Amino acid sequence: MMKRILLLALLPFLMLSCRENKKTNAQKQAGGIAQQEIHKELYGFWVGDFYTQDELEYDGDMTDAVKKLNINIKKITKDTVIAQSVVSGNSRPLLGKLSDDGGKITFVLDEPGSEKYDGKFEITLVGDTLIGKWNAYKTALKWPEKQFKLLKKAFIYNASLMLPTEASYVDWSDHKMVEHLDTLEDGTIDSLGANAFYRSASDQIFKLNASTVLLNEADLKNLRKLDLQIIKNTIFARHGYAFKKQTFRNFFDPVEWYVPVKNNVDNDLTAIENKNIKLLDRFTKYAEDNYDAFGR
Amino acid sequence: MKKSISYLSVAWLLFFGYFFVLMLQITLRYLPFGTEVAFLQIKQTEVTGISAYLPVFYIHVYSAIFVLLAGFTQFNPKILSKYPKIHRLLGYLYAGVVLILAAPSGIFIGCFANGGLMAKTSFIILGVLWFWFTFKAVQFIINRKIKAHKKMMCRSFALATSAITLRLWKVILVYLFHPAPMDVYQIIAWLGWIPNLLLAEWLIKRKII
Repeated sequence: MMKRILLLALLPFLMLSCRENKKTNAQKQAGGIAQQEIHKELYGFWVGDFYTQDELEYDGDMTDAVKKLNINIKKITKDTVIAQSVVSGNSRPLLGKLSDDGGKITFVLDEPGSEKYDGKFEITLVGDTLIGKWNAYKTALKWPEKQFKLLKKAFIYNASLMLPTEASYVDWSDHKMVEHLDTLEDGTIDSLGANAFYRSASDQIFKLNASTVLLNEADLKNLRKLDLQIIKNTIFARHGYAFKKQTFRNFFDPVEWYVPVKNNVDNDLTAIENKNIKLLDRFTKYAEDNYDAFGR
Repeated sequence: MKKSISYLSVAWLLFFGYFFVLMLQITLRYLPFGTEVAFLQIKQTEVTGISAYLPVFYIHVYSAIFVLLAGFTQFNPKILSKYPKIHRLLGYLYAGVVLILAAPSGIFIGCFANGGLMAKTSFIILGVLWFWFTFKAVQFIINRKIKAHKKMMCRSFALATSAITLRLWKVILVYLFHPAPMDVYQIIAWLGWIPNLLLAEWLIKRKII
């Protein structure tokens, strides 16, 4: 009788231990979670140009200017690599594998395939550089194959970073036609045809830092819309915002310090930056409504 | 001869009417009253820093549109000869609004104008001259000096229309040269009224008016 009671009392514990055994078995089967992370030294942002071989020889259309690619390696285990690609303001999750063939490290990373520009990255680590190519799943794209050389880059927010002055900032992605007129000797006016007018920025974009200084109206009054937009977007660039608009990618992708990291930086902005953005937005709206209109 | 004059009047009415409607639209942007509307978007330093700025600015915006009404009637020879009562009534309105509301408020907001000292100087001179010409014109008509009154009112109204010509010059200069906004502002501050006044002097000298 005693034995039975003891057995009954033990039964729940026995069952429990049995389940625990099952659990650990399940864990082992699923893998991943318990797997050891390897090559942690490769974690982080790998940044460089994203180009096609043809594109380098192709000097016509500026809209296909060299893009910046950022591959963020987040986790590496024996049979899985979790990463993220950011290019052209497009952030995509990557899933793949690392192989270590006697010290020669290669990756194969896949984008999900649910979007037009998804594809497969094949990468080799050569010294301190990730060299590789990307093939779109959709081969009908204009540039279905791209190449890249990426260097590891720490991303640290630095409020004092400014656009480099050696580049010129012209909005090549958009223009308006302006007719050029010429007055002939006999007084008649002759049209020389329309020329394209591209907006170019003033040198104030190198002087006004909207991340460190609280701007006032007098600072912004003489600025055109493009200046206001660049000063505002330089804030976002410092926070690693991946620009969706071509205009701003053209400006920021070539900038050495710029690392496109994420699609939303709203929560990272400082109090100064938020105040300046409000002011810049007001002036941008005023410029849009009034700069070339009948009014002030 | 008589017919050609009335054609001229009709052409003037259409031309002036068009710009009057544009000015009316600009005025209506300030209805309902707001502290951050239209031009005030870039004037928050003054709106928040100088307590008189906002009320005086609104006095100018709301009163100045009535001044332009003079363009429809006051220089029309038919109305002058046939309906002197209309001329007198609108004359009181014009002179009253300019001397009490539009010119003093214009001088005040001119002191805080965009475009720095260069623009401020222009707007203050414009406001003072506008007040002076209008004041003299009223004085002359009280003393029944009709010719002198007419000349002074011609000058006064030439300055009143700077509201239109200033904005027109801006459109032209921006279209042609794409200058920075305050660079263009410093130019139109002067270009808005000096050619108008020169034209008025020319009309007076040629005895056209």
